[in-house]
Amino acid sequence: MTHLLAASQYGASHAVTITLAMSALLFTIGLIGFLVRRNMILMFLCTEIMFQAAALAFIAFGRMRMDTGGQIFVIFILTIAAAEAALALGLVILLFRRKETLSSEAWSELHE
Amino acid sequence: MIQMLSITDTHSDSPAHAVVTSIVNAIPSPELSWTGWILLLPAISVVLTGLCCALRVKSKLPGWITVLALAGSFALVLKLYFLRGDAGAPVVVHLWDWMNFRWGDQGKWYTLQADVSVYVDSLTLFWLLFVTGLGTLIAIYATEYMESDVGKGYARFFNGVSIFILAMCTLVMADNLLLLYLGWEGVGLASYLLIGYYYKKPAAVAAGKKAFIVNRMGDLGLAVGIWLIWVNYGTIEFNTLFQVWNDMERGVGSFDKSLIPYCLMLGAFGKSAQLPLYVWLPDAMEGPTPVSALIHAATMVTAGVYLIARTYPLFALHPDALATVAWVGGLTAIFSATIGMAQYDFKRVFAYSTISQLGYMFMGLGVGTTFGAAYHTLTHAFFKALLFLTAGAIMHGFAGQLDLRKLSGLRQVPGFKLVSWTMLIGCLWLSAFPYSAGMLSKDIILVQALSGKDHGFVWLGWIGLITAAMTAYYAFRVWFRVCAGPVFYMPGEEAHDDHDAHAAPTSHASHDFHPHAPRWAMNGVLIVIMLGAFATGIPGYMELRGESNWVQVMMAHSSALAGSVQAHVTDVVNFGMNPHQLVELFGTIASLGGIAIAMYFHLLQRKSADKLRAWLLAHNSIRWIPVAMENKWYVDEFYHACIRGPAWIAGHILHFTDKHVVDGLMVNGIGRIPAALGRLFQPLYNGVLQGYATTMAGGAALVVAWVVYRWLTSGVVA
Amino acid sequence: MIQYLLLLLPLISALVIVLSSQRAAKWIALIGSTASLIAAAVFAVQFPHWTTGSFWPDLNTTPILGNFGVDLKIGVDSVSMLLVLLTVFLTPLAIAGSFSAITTRMREYYAWFMILEASMLLAFMSRDMIFFYVGYEFTLIPMFFLISIWGGPMRGPAAIKFFIFTFLGSVFTLASVIFVAVRHFDSTGIWTFAIADLVKFSSTQLSDKEQFWVFVGLMSGFAIKTPFFPTHAWLPLAHDQAPTGGSVILAGVLLKLGTYGVFRFALPMAPIGAVECTTFFAILGIIAILYMSLVCWVQTDIKKLIAYSSVSHMGFVVLGLFALNPLGLQGAVMYMVNHGLSTGALFLCIGMMYERYHTKDMEQLGGLVSKMPVWSFFMIIFTLSSVGLPGLNGFVGEFLCLMGAFVAEHDQPSGYPGVLHPWYAVVAVIGLILGAMYLLIMLGKIVWGTLREPHGDGGNGHTEHAASELPTDLNFREIAILAPIALACLAIGLYPKPLLNAVEPCVKEVLVNYPAVIDAYNAKRGLVNPSVPVKHAEVTK
Repeated sequence: MTHLLAASQYGASHAVTITLAMSALLFTIGLIGFLVRRNMILMFLCTEIMFQAAALAFIAFGRMRMDTGGQIFVIFILTIAAAEAALALGLVILLFRRKETLSSEAWSELHE
Repeated sequence: MIQMLSITDTHSDSPAHAVVTSIVNAIPSPELSWTGWILLLPAISVVLTGLCCALRVKSKLPGWITVLALAGSFALVLKLYFLRGDAGAPVVVHLWDWMNFRWGDQGKWYTLQADVSVYVDSLTLFWLLFVTGLGTLIAIYATEYMESDVGKGYARFFNGVSIFILAMCTLVMADNLLLLYLGWEGVGLASYLLIGYYYKKPAAVAAGKKAFIVNRMGDLGLAVGIWLIWVNYGTIEFNTLFQVWNDMERGVGSFDKSLIPYCLMLGAFGKSAQLPLYVWLPDAMEGPTPVSALIHAATMVTAGVYLIARTYPLFALHPDALATVAWVGGLTAIFSATIGMAQYDFKRVFAYSTISQLGYMFMGLGVGTTFGAAYHTLTHAFFKALLFLTAGAIMHGFAGQLDLRKLSGLRQVPGFKLVSWTMLIGCLWLSAFPYSAGMLSKDIILVQALSGKDHGFVWLGWIGLITAAMTAYYAFRVWFRVCAGPVFYMPGEEAHDDHDAHAAPTSHASHDFHPHAPRWAMNGVLIVIMLGAFATGIPGYMELRGESNWVQVMMAHSSALAGSVQAHVTDVVNFGMNPHQLVELFGTIASLGGIAIAMYFHLLQRKSADKLRAWLLAHNSIRWIPVAMENKWYVDEFYHACIRGPAWIAGHILHFTDKHVVDGLMVNGIGRIPAALGRLFQPLYNGVLQGYATTMAGGAALVVAWVVYRWLTSGVVA
Repeated sequence: MIQYLLLLLPLISALVIVLSSQRAAKWIALIGSTASLIAAAVFAVQFPHWTTGSFWPDLNTTPILGNFGVDLKIGVDSVSMLLVLLTVFLTPLAIAGSFSAITTRMREYYAWFMILEASMLLAFMSRDMIFFYVGYEFTLIPMFFLISIWGGPMRGPAAIKFFIFTFLGSVFTLASVIFVAVRHFDSTGIWTFAIADLVKFSSTQLSDKEQFWVFVGLMSGFAIKTPFFPTHAWLPLAHDQAPTGGSVILAGVLLKLGTYGVFRFALPMAPIGAVECTTFFAILGIIAILYMSLVCWVQTDIKKLIAYSSVSHMGFVVLGLFALNPLGLQGAVMYMVNHGLSTGALFLCIGMMYERYHTKDMEQLGGLVSKMPVWSFFMIIFTLSSVGLPGLNGFVGEFLCLMGAFVAEHDQPSGYPGVLHPWYAVVAVIGLILGAMYLLIMLGKIVWGTLREPHGDGGNGHTEHAASELPTDLNFREIAILAPIALACLAIGLYPKPLLNAVEPCVKEVLVNYPAVIDAYNAKRGLVNPSVPVKHAEVTK
């Protein structure tokens, strides 16, 4: 609460609050999707949603503090997400070729 | 007897006795730095013989290197002796700094000063003379004795001998207790290496080890003594200490001051094989016989006597300590004589006689005659070296035969005539035959003991006389068995080196065996030492005649001056006789009686000795006596059971503890805690990606929940 | 600049080794370590403070974390210098001793070895707590790999136990160091980790309780490294499993890091704490001496025997350190150097024998003198040095440690009162007998006696091991490794004076606060020191 109070000093507007709530909602959707789905492509999409939620939060806080840093970070995140998407999809395809399935449960050799 | 009485009367006005009353301050004499060569020559010999060992020299070269080095040392000692005479003032020659540092400028207690420097007084010279002299002779003897080992152990043997002479000279020349300690342990090392010379014999290896370890027990006392001296007097240099002790009063001092002589005497008892630390010396006979003669009879074992004579001013301050020395010496003398009477290995007999004679020396020191002790050291060095060297000649000739039941009549075996007769001289001297050197020196000690007023010294004198009878018996038991009687011999089971071609006689029957007689080096040395044994009688005769003699003068001008004058006693002690008369009469009876008994049992009626033994064994009430004596009173077994055994068991228990409690329970137990914790949470990590993600999200949620909870409860919200 | 060169030379050679071929690795390592030896020799010749106890060079500091006072300060006093010399002396010998023993992954082995040397040198030469700690801890990593890759059959557990055990203790050491630095910052407003500043601050400004905990914290690391009695469990296993070169460095230098730490940090930083713990640690030292001697006695594995004997010998060092007087501390420093030489050499000897017979079991081997006389000669010399025979190096340290403990009474007229009673030394001196006992028993079994060799391996090339190309007795390389150590043993034994002189001022520096502190402590126990002037009556605080 203190932080929210402090935020108001920077002029936290209603819009910021809504954006943050949106970010939280997006993140939760992404997380739940990640946890319940077994399809690796869908799981990957869910991580992307979480990424964007974080990016949204950056924008919101950047707006709140009137700091361009938040938006700079969003550009970074987008770039990295793009690069990582290319890599991850490549990996998923490789994994699919090995076991002819997209289920993440097929890859559980890490357990003891 | 009357004559003797008058002699003691003249003692007090004989010039030598009245000269010095306290120890003279030593003169720093850098011009005498050549005395360092007395040490350096054996050191060079150590290096050269070591090189011979490494280069596998196949000649007698190492032997002659050693002989030359030792002869050089002896010559230098003689030079020093003639330079200084019997009564020169002590000198200190600083060679180089050793363990020497200071942490303050206040002198005593602010430095530990132990340099490699030499303190030469008459006591040092006295010891140096016979150490280097006999050392040279025995080295010459050994060049022949060890000849079957040429190219194998020869260089190693002489390396050991050189180490020994180096260490022994360091010991007696040291100007501080720490350097003495170096020599002390150094002779122990030489002894260890030489006893274990026949390293393939397990008994020899064990004996070497035993000698070193038992000596270490004594060294412990010496080390503590050195520390106590430093704590109490702030220095360990003899010269400074003597000046301090000069000014001190008898019997005064704190508890730990009076503890010092007891610590030192423990060291002396270890090195000189006295009760209770004598057990190593008989086993030390596993070494080559020249080593037994040099180290374990003539020189090294007298280091304990030297130590007490060196610190005699300190002992003189503590009469109780001296009495302890006397009693330990006396009891050792009689105790080891009983064992010596029942041994069949004649080298062991001589070993026990060494212990016994050393007991006399300590008795002499204890009852207050350093002259007697030093003189007995000298005579003993010669006659015991002679006995061992003759024993060695017999061993050498008869393939290691040492059992006195298996040799007989050697004086008629060609080539062993000289050996037999020199051995007879040795035995006569050992059994204190009237007016032999052995008798003259022993009597001085016994007279002093019998004149003692307190501490039961009179009893000690009687113990000494009884021991003298036993000594005469066992000495002549050997001689009559081995040298007299009909000719009969069996070769030993092995030659003196078992990896030697000499071992061949084992397969031969007795009649094939040809003993090989000693040649010139051994015979020559025997003759020289025999002459020396005669010559050692001279100071005793001079003492009898009331003249000042060099042994006595030397003692009177050394740290042992307190006991250098013989007691001036004429009062009646026992049987209406004074001590001189007593010793003269009973000493003669003891010696001749012992010889006569030995003659009966071991020359004239050899069967009766066996009968006597059988009779003793047949009676249950007394059978323990011969059994115990033959088994050396089970002292080794006792030590084994009481010290080594428990320690060994403790070692196993502690090893078990270390492995299973300290390491197993404590360390590995603690090490298992994280693993156990990990196993608790293992189900969360099932290998499925979502499982990990859930855990992560759950963890994050817990953290968030905790932070929110803190927020809500911290009151900031309100 | 020579000091930086000395530090960098091993690192550079490690780099070159990584880039070179497997065959060249050992030669580069040998050249690199020899170059370090030469650099250290030049350093030692230039070193101007052999008898003054000051540090040199004192000027160069390179700020690394300037805000927190972490500077790279390199400088040695004569004690550090001696240990540096010990390190650079033993490293080339240990490397040469690995030539025929290490036949796999040679590049890595020698690279790790050089890194190990660099980190040891950093620990000894650093004058900054953090850099000492970095060097001290970093030795674990190369050692971990040396044991776990080239070690014996139990190498895995040995390496892990070694690493975790010693690491665990050092965490507390670091905590103590940081605590002192924070307190220093609190009271002066300056961040520094310079040893001299922290020592001065800690010994004079901290309260009794703080000093006590600082001391306990420091000791918990050093005690494990040394190791003191109950924390030695890692050592027998690690020594036993390490390759020969590793054992040599482990016994020769790494153990000394612990006692060096006590000497350089624990004792000067917290005199009050040290005095309160003196009795405790002295008893631990005595237990180590006696207990380990008895354990040695029943060992059948010769390498384990020597490993356990190290713990026993370190007990003498502990006793000497806690004598808290010049005699004891001198003895402790001398013992560190001498133990490094003689035990390192014993491990080398055992390694040479192991390469020929592939066993370390004393029940299977015996009487080697008839087959390997030269080896036996060296074995006897180093064993006697370990036994503490006067005239060889071991005696100097051992005697001074024990004598120091003996004279550490409250009423000493030597200007340095102590806390212990003479009985401590008298009990510990039994260790001399036990030491002679187990070492001579070892000699008796393995050197003397009739020849016993393990079946099927005569040591003469009957097996297909690469090492069986070795001759029956030592070859020239092996003699060249052992001979310098033997000469050093003899030289130190006969002329320890330069070393004693060099160590003496440093010892005084360490003990500067002690007489007053000990007098105060003893007065609290009702023991008055009659011979100390009144000026000692109040503690400098």
